[in-house]
Amino acid sequence: MSANIRPSGVFDTAYAQDISINRTRFDKFLANGLFVLLLIVPLLTIEGPLAANILPQSWIGVLNRIAIFVIAVQGLNILTGYTGQISLGHAAFMAVGAYTGAVLARELGMTFWIALPIAALVTGVTGLIFGLPSLRVKGFYLAMATLAAQFIIPWLLRYPLEGLTGGSRPLSVPEPTLFGLSFAHENAMYYIIIPMSIFLSLAARNIVRTRVGRAFISVRDNDLAAELLGINVFSYKLQAFFLSALYAGVAGCLLAFESNSLSLDKFLLDRSIEMLAMLVIGGAGFPLGPLFGVAFVNLLTQNIIPSVIPTLKQVLPGFLPFINPINIDAALGPTLFGLALMFFLIIAPRGLAHRWEILKIAWKIRPYSH
Amino acid sequence: MTALLRDNRRLVTILLYLVGLLVIVALFAPVIAAQRPARLVQSGITGLLVGGVYALIALGIVIINKASGVFNFAHGWMMLLGGFLFYSFFSVVQISPVATLALALLTVLMALTMIGWGRLRDARVLGAGALAAIVITMLMLVEIPLLRGIVGAVCGSVLIGLAAERFAIRPLIGQPLFAMVLMTLALSEVLHGIEQMIWGSVEIPLSLFAGIKDLGLPAPIRFEMFDSNVIVRTELLIAFALSLLAFVAFVAFFQFTSVGLAMRATAENQKLAQSVGLRVRVILGVAWAIAALLATVAGVLQGGATSLSLNMPLLALRAFPAVLLGGLESVPGALIGGLIIGLVQEYANLLFPGTQAGTELAPYLVLMVVLVIRPDGLFGQKRIERI
Amino acid sequence: MRKLALILLVLALGTLLALPVSAQESLPDWIEHTACDVDLTGETITIYHFGDISASYAFITQPLLAGIADAIEYFNARGGACGATLAQDNRDTGGDLTQTQAHYDYYSTLDPKPDLLVLYASPDAELLRDQVAEDEIPVMISAGSVEGLYGEDGQTPGWIYATNPLYVDQFGMFCRYIGANADQFPDPVIGYISWPGAFGEAAFTPEAIGYCAEQGVTVLETPEYFLPTATDITTNVQNLVDAGANILYTNTLASGPVAVARTLVDLGLEDDVRLAGVNWTLDTSVGLLSRTALGSDGLPAVNGIIGSMPFRWWTETDVPAIELITSIADEKEVAPQNRNIAYLLGWGTVDTYIELYAQTVNRVGSLDAVDGAAIQETLNGMVYSPMGLYTLDYKSGEIRDDTMNRLAMMMFANTDLSGVASSGDDAFKLPLPDGTEAYLPVIVPLTDFELTPDLRPGGMDVPGM
Repeated sequence: MSANIRPSGVFDTAYAQDISINRTRFDKFLANGLFVLLLIVPLLTIEGPLAANILPQSWIGVLNRIAIFVIAVQGLNILTGYTGQISLGHAAFMAVGAYTGAVLARELGMTFWIALPIAALVTGVTGLIFGLPSLRVKGFYLAMATLAAQFIIPWLLRYPLEGLTGGSRPLSVPEPTLFGLSFAHENAMYYIIIPMSIFLSLAARNIVRTRVGRAFISVRDNDLAAELLGINVFSYKLQAFFLSALYAGVAGCLLAFESNSLSLDKFLLDRSIEMLAMLVIGGAGFPLGPLFGVAFVNLLTQNIIPSVIPTLKQVLPGFLPFINPINIDAALGPTLFGLALMFFLIIAPRGLAHRWEILKIAWKIRPYSH
Repeated sequence: MTALLRDNRRLVTILLYLVGLLVIVALFAPVIAAQRPARLVQSGITGLLVGGVYALIALGIVIINKASGVFNFAHGWMMLLGGFLFYSFFSVVQISPVATLALALLTVLMALTMIGWGRLRDARVLGAGALAAIVITMLMLVEIPLLRGIVGAVCGSVLIGLAAERFAIRPLIGQPLFAMVLMTLALSEVLHGIEQMIWGSVEIPLSLFAGIKDLGLPAPIRFEMFDSNVIVRTELLIAFALSLLAFVAFVAFFQFTSVGLAMRATAENQKLAQSVGLRVRVILGVAWAIAALLATVAGVLQGGATSLSLNMPLLALRAFPAVLLGGLESVPGALIGGLIIGLVQEYANLLFPGTQAGTELAPYLVLMVVLVIRPDGLFGQKRIERI
Repeated sequence: MRKLALILLVLALGTLLALPVSAQESLPDWIEHTACDVDLTGETITIYHFGDISASYAFITQPLLAGIADAIEYFNARGGACGATLAQDNRDTGGDLTQTQAHYDYYSTLDPKPDLLVLYASPDAELLRDQVAEDEIPVMISAGSVEGLYGEDGQTPGWIYATNPLYVDQFGMFCRYIGANADQFPDPVIGYISWPGAFGEAAFTPEAIGYCAEQGVTVLETPEYFLPTATDITTNVQNLVDAGANILYTNTLASGPVAVARTLVDLGLEDDVRLAGVNWTLDTSVGLLSRTALGSDGLPAVNGIIGSMPFRWWTETDVPAIELITSIADEKEVAPQNRNIAYLLGWGTVDTYIELYAQTVNRVGSLDAVDGAAIQETLNGMVYSPMGLYTLDYKSGEIRDDTMNRLAMMMFANTDLSGVASSGDDAFKLPLPDGTEAYLPVIVPLTDFELTPDLRPGGMDVPGM
C-alpha cells in the first residue's frame, strides 16, 4: 500500500496518527472539503431550494444511483475482493433488502429509519444461509452456491411470498420522512444516500484494517496457511458473507426508497454480473475500487457508449456488409461493454484503483521517478 | 458404538442417503399417487428428452473445464452462435462466396497458428493451409444444404472456440479464478453483441426437422398406455439420439486417441504435461474448439426443436446444476446429471403446478443439496479441499 | 367475411410492388390535422423514446422505431408539424430497469424538458409512473398493465397514456365473447398458460376471474407458467387439460403462442382445446414463427387462435392508411417479420404528435409555451384517430387506456387470396429466402369495435362493485 509513502519530513508522533485514515493534515482537509462540496451539489440545481440553475438536475439522480451501487459493491468487495469468495448472487441479496424494507414500511407502517437496519440484518442472515455451503466447498463451487441463491431468492419472493411482495407486479414504496419532513424528492434522498455511502465505505475500509479484516485477507491469500495459523476459516468466511449481504441489504433498501417503486426485474443475474464487473474494473481489494468501478461503468453505459454509437452506425456497415444497420443501435451496447471488461481483465487486471495508487505515488515522489 | 460408526463410515453414509431418499419419496408419495400413471410416464419421457439437451450443454462445459479448469459461462451464447451459423448456411440460398472464403481462411489461420505465428514462415504449411481453406470454401458452397450447414457451422464454431481461447483465455493464465469467470462473462457479452448485429433480434425458426414427415416418420410418436395417449416428440427423440451419439464419440475420443489422452494428461497437471513434451497450447485450443462444436450441436438441435432466439443462452444456466450434479470433470456425469435435471424439472412441473417450481427452483435446489452433501458430484474426482 | 374479398398480400414482397408514392408534397385528404394558427417553420419537435431495443422485446421495438423513422420522413416531406421538422432520439435500456431510470434522468432533465415521451414496456411504465407525474411529463405507451396506468389501487390515472386496452380488460372481453357464444364454446373452462413475469401474468387477476365467472366461464385457479426458453411444455399443457380446460389463454408473444399451439397439436388436442390470447398473439411474428410448426391439417398450428385486435391491420386494405403504409413499407423493403403492429404504431405515434402539437400550439400561442401540462390537457380532451388506425379517447382525462377493442381470429389465406385456407393444400405459400414457406396470416374480425369491460381493481365491471 502506498499509505507509507509521504512527503519527507512528515513523521508520525503518536499511535493515533499512525492508524488514522487521513495521515496528513492535507489529506484531512481534502477529504472534508470533498465531503462539503458533495453536500452542496443539490443546492446548485434548479430543483434545489435556491433554484440556482448552476449544475444540471440530472446529476443528482446519477450521483444517488452511483452512491447506492458503491454501497452494494463495497459489500461485494468485502466478500470477493478481500476474502476471495466469488458471489454471483449479490443482486438477489439486494432484492432481499429492498423487499424487506418495502414490506416493513407497507405492512407494518414502519418508518424508513427503522426498516433500513432491519432490512440490512435480514439480508445479512440470508447471506449467512447461502454462505453455509462454504463449510464444504470453495472457489468455483461456492460461486455456484451463490448462483443458486440468485435463482432461489427471486423465486421465493415471486411465488410463495406473493401476498406480501406482489409477485411479478410492481410494489410501490412509501416515502421516507423524518419529523414530518418528506424525503420524496431526489434532492432530499441525496442527503440520506450520500452520507450513508461515505459512512459505509469508510466502515468497510476500517473493517479491513481490523483483526477480522486481516483474517479475511489471509483466507483469500492462502486458506490452508490461515487455518494452520489458527484462524477459523469457516467462521470468517461466514462473517464475510454476512457483512457482504448486510451491505447489499442497505443498498437494496435505499434503492427501493429512492425510486418509490420496486420490481424483481431490477435484481436479476445480469445485475450480479454487472456488479462483479464493476468491482474488477474498479479494482478488487482496494477501498476505492467500488467507487471507481461504479463511476466508470456508469460513465461507460450512460455517456461513452451512447456517444460513439452514431459514428459507428455510420462507419460499420461500410466495413462489414453483412451487418444489418437497424441492429447496430442495440448490438453495440453489449459488445462495447464486453470489450471494455476484457480490456480491463487483460491490460489492468488490478483495476482502476491500482492505477490510481500508482499515480498517487508518482505524484508524491515527484520529481524523482523512483 | 462410536467405533462401529467410525469403522463403517462408508456404509453409514450410504444408509443415510437411502434414508433421506426414502423420506423424500414418502413425502411426495401422496402427490405422486394422485397422478394418473400415464402422466407420470409422459413426464418421464419429456424429462429425459429435455435432459438430453441439458446433457449436451453440460458436456461442452465439462470438456473445457477438464482441459483448462475454466468454467465457461459463455457456453449459452456459443450455442446460439452455432445455431445461427448453421441456419445461415443451411437455410439461406445465396451466400456471399467472399464471406465464406474469409471465414474459411480465418479458421485455417487460427488453427495453423495455434502454437505461434512463426508457423506461417513455413511455405509448406502456408500451402497446405491455403488448400484446406479452398476445400472448405467449396464444401460450404455446394448445393446440399445439410452438408453446407454442417461444414459452415463446424468451421465457424472452431473459429470461435480457437479465437476465444487465444484472445480471451490465454492472456489470463496465472490470474485468479475470479478473473477467468469474469472473462467468460465478458465473452458472452461480446458474443451477444455480435450475434445481434448480424442476425438481429427477431426469432428465427430453424426448419431442421421439417423433413420428418417426408421420411414417413410419425411426428410425434403416439402410443396408448394406461388408457391414454403418451407422446414422444420425434424431433426431440432424434436430438436425444444425436446427443447420445456425441457422447459415445467423445468418450471414445478421450479414451483411445492420442489427443484425447494428451488432453487428460494436461488436465491432470499442465506443467508436467508440458515437461514431457505435450503442446499445452494446442491442447487447450483443441479443447475450446471441441467445446464450441458441442455448443453448436446443442444450439442446432434446440433451435430445430424450438427456434433460434436471443433467449436461448438462458437455457445454459439450467445446465449448470447438471454439470455440478454429475461432477465438474466427468463426461458420463454430464450425461447422467443432464438427464436427472431434466427429470426433476418435469416432475416438479407435474406435481406442483402453477408454482414455476420446475424450471426456476428445482434445478437450483438440487444444486444446493449437491453442494452440501456431495460437493464433488456423482462422478467427480474427490479433490476438493474442504476448508 | 366480406372483407376477405379485399384481403391483399402483405407479406408478398415480390408480388405486391406497389405504385411508388407520388411525389406530391401535400398530405392525402384523409389525414386531417387541425389547421395551424402558428407557423413553426424552422423549429424542431423531437420524439424521445427509450426502451428495450437490444433484449427480449427488441423484435417489437425495432419495427416501432423503423415505423417512427419512416413516418417522420414521410410527414417531414409534407410540411412536418405545422412546419416544424420532426426528429427522433432513442436510447436503449437492454430491458434493464436501472438503465431505464438512468435514461429517464437524462431525458427528463434536458433543457428544455421534453413535453412528451414515448415508451414501450409495462415495467418501464410501472417504474416511472410516479416520477413522470412529479416532473409533469406525459408519456405515450403501448402496454396495458393496470399498475403502470392506474397505480396499485387501479383508480389513480397518472401521466402515462396507453394506445392499447388493458391486458386484464382484454381477457375479460374474451370471456364475455365466449360466454355469449355458448353454441361455439360449450361449457367453457379456461386454463391460463403464460410466461412468468410482469407481462405474462398481467391478465390473471382476481377481478378477471370473477368477471369471467359472471359470464358463465370458469377460469382454472392454478395458472401454468413456462419460460421462453422451454424446450417442451407438454407437462404444463397437460396439467391444465387434465384439470378440465378446453380453452387455453396466453399472455405471451412471438414463440409463446406457437409453443402452446404446437404442443396441442402434438397431443392431438387441436380439435378439443381452443387457443386464445392477448393482442400480441395475433402479431405477424406469431404467424411467421408457426410456419415450421404445422397442425394436422397442414396449416400453421396457430391457425384459429383468437385474440384482441384493437388496431387496424395490414390486411384491411380498405383503410387508406394501410394502403399508404404498405406502399411505403414496400419501398423501404421492410422485412415481412417487421410488418407487425409496432410498425403501424410507429406511424400512429408520429401522426399523434403532429395533431397534439397543432392543437396545443393553437391554444398556448407558441411552441416555446408548450410544456408537459399543456400537452396533457390536449391529450385529455382530444378524440382522435391517428391515420384511422385506432382511436384515442381518454374521456376528458378520466381513463388512460384504449377502451375500444375487437376480437379477431388469425387464419391463413388460400391460394387465390379470395378467402381463408381450410387446409395446407389450398393455402397460399410464399417461398422465403431461407427455404421455408411462409403462410399469409389473415386477421378475421369476430366482433366490431366495442367497449371493453373495466376490470381494474375497483373497476366498474368487477363483480361485487
